[in-house]
Amino acid sequence: MADVRVEKLRREFGSLVAVKDITFVFPDGAVTCLLGPSGCGKTTLLRMIAGLERPSAGVIRFGDRDVTTLAARRRDVAMVFQYPVMYRTLNVTENIELPLANDRTVSAAERRRRVDEAIDILELGEARGLHIDRLDLGARQKVAMGRAIARRAAVTLFDEPTTNVEAHAKLALIRAFKQLRKHVRQTIVYVTHDQTEAMTLADQIALMREGRIEQCAPPPELYDQPDSEFGGWFLGNPGMNFLAVRPVGAGFVVDGVPFRLAAPRTGLEDVRFGIRPEYIRIDTAQSPDSVPARVLRRAVAIGGQHLVTLDVGGSRIKAKVSPGGGLSPRAPEVGANVFMTCPIEHAILFRRGQRVAEPLRRLDSSA
Amino acid sequence: MSRIRFEGVSKSYRRTMALDGIDLNIEPSGLTVVSGPPGCGKSVLARILIGLEEPTAGRIFFDGDDITETPAAQRSIGYVPQSFALFPHMSVFDNIAYPMALQGVPRADIARRVDQAAGMLHIGPLLAKRPSQLSGGEKQRAAIARGLLKNASIFILDDPLVGLDFKLRESLMEDLKDMRAEIDATFLYITSDPLEALTMAEHLAVLDRGRLVEAGRVDAVYYDPAWLRTIELVGFPRCNILPGRLDTADSACATAIGRLPVTLEDGAGSPEAMVAIRPEDIVRPAAGVAPLGVGKVTLVENLGSESVVYIELHETTLVTTVPVGALASFDLGDPYPLAVRPGGPTLFDRASGRRIGRIRETHDG
Repeated sequence: MADVRVEKLRREFGSLVAVKDITFVFPDGAVTCLLGPSGCGKTTLLRMIAGLERPSAGVIRFGDRDVTTLAARRRDVAMVFQYPVMYRTLNVTENIELPLANDRTVSAAERRRRVDEAIDILELGEARGLHIDRLDLGARQKVAMGRAIARRAAVTLFDEPTTNVEAHAKLALIRAFKQLRKHVRQTIVYVTHDQTEAMTLADQIALMREGRIEQCAPPPELYDQPDSEFGGWFLGNPGMNFLAVRPVGAGFVVDGVPFRLAAPRTGLEDVRFGIRPEYIRIDTAQSPDSVPARVLRRAVAIGGQHLVTLDVGGSRIKAKVSPGGGLSPRAPEVGANVFMTCPIEHAILFRRGQRVAEPLRRLDSSA
Repeated sequence: MSRIRFEGVSKSYRRTMALDGIDLNIEPSGLTVVSGPPGCGKSVLARILIGLEEPTAGRIFFDGDDITETPAAQRSIGYVPQSFALFPHMSVFDNIAYPMALQGVPRADIARRVDQAAGMLHIGPLLAKRPSQLSGGEKQRAAIARGLLKNASIFILDDPLVGLDFKLRESLMEDLKDMRAEIDATFLYITSDPLEALTMAEHLAVLDRGRLVEAGRVDAVYYDPAWLRTIELVGFPRCNILPGRLDTADSACATAIGRLPVTLEDGAGSPEAMVAIRPEDIVRPAAGVAPLGVGKVTLVENLGSESVVYIELHETTLVTTVPVGALASFDLGDPYPLAVRPGGPTLFDRASGRRIGRIRETHDG
């Protein structure tokens, strides 16, 4: 095991810069998910770490070892691909065992122990003697996962391993991954475009955009405290609401929402106010903190919640209403006049897309 | 806008029955989603409506006029096919403009409308390019623009967002709803994705194996389904379905996770039942109330604002959704005491799949 350090790592394809001088440490023994939209450079970064893609510039180290120019097979990496790479003439046990059998530093007893452990954790016991051809895609991917983990390579890499399996098998794979993690700590880099998968599996998520790592944090922190509007938008279903602000006296008001807030010290130019849909509350009665709103749209969402689109003084705001809330299970009808509460303790200010560090503060009504 | 009516529409290919006696009204206002698993016949239904295929039996009416024999070109339907079907030798602009040009829309009008739609769908800078220079998502948006810019009284979108990035789908769904609000026409939207169906639908028609299972306003279909198959196919995450045995004398249903008191509707016959429990109807027991059971957490999926928790109880896997922050976080293997929200879970006859009742309370008294 080792940490993975990349320094000013760059990859160009003609005029396209896929990875833009990234300096980053993937910590020893942690699962780091590279998450981002297609084309953000996450797969290119992974492939450079694997040795499958040559950097245009920069350095890759595993611990103290500079592996930048080393061939893939000499780096001590294990990899799980989008499609399981299998030895079709071998059975499940033999597939998991094969890389270990070629490794003279692993004793026969240790080899058996690791293979048994992988088969046990992955619940492949009944399939252990089966030939790979007899397994479906999901089960084969499990075998690929077991083989990668059993190797105890310095670094284990996953390239969107659940993309091509159906929903049920995907869950089984995610569960298997979590189980493996409970038993075996390894340095893992896991590429995915699926935010749920990243939030579920990662110790930390490196959120990528246009060839750069925008933010790296544990999943709840990345979700609650995005450094950028991009993070607020990309995570969440739907993403964060962003609203323009307008200076008023010593502070400002948010478009559509007349509460008066203290302006940040650096001023209000290019500032937007962000709040996640689940923090917005909708009531039929007015309260001191609420503002009038009209229901533009509504839809049933995940787990019977309602996704309600509100018009608040000309701004569009999305709210998630949970079942068990005041309006459940029925949300207000389209066209209904309601009252919206937008708790500022859950709001974030962004300037030119980047988070403003100062906390939001209400101005006294006298101010 | 047209009210569309399918009357006994069937379609068979050799021995395969793709559609089997579809009776369905599509409202002129509000978007209707036709959803169902792959192969349920929803695309065939769209192709018959457009006139690309003829029904084997049955009639189709637009506003009461029988159009079953009307040629496709005279049906005035805008169509966004699943495959983008863009002309490779034309620019994106000309591709989008093509149906309007065929209809004789003045050139200046065409340019204005193409620009407006391209802006909405974020493909403005791509109008001069050829389809081969576009990514899959960009081609899809060009196809959507082309389908929606035609002068038509009916628009059909056949799984227009399939295979796109999650975030792109989210923003395109929003754009499509905006465009739909501006176009005065009947909209039929086809998808096999349960969450997309719920997000888009005002009315929902559920198809399965060539038959119409149920149709109605989306709330009614979600909260008051008449059929087991509806609750299996509508909703995300998927509904928990457990076999049960009715004890009518005691008004209870015995299941693998415990005995659930029930209220039966008229006509409950056989004791063989199925209990459908939506993920949100599996809840934590109230303080001081004994749980229905204590399961074991087998996986927690983090969706950001909510978690999907998988629980094993008496060898049955249950799925529930929990708002993040509502509870402390759990780890795999943690115990999970649970109850069932009264009034939510629904009881169906096992043989016919018809609804026969609801769950009352989960505890004595």
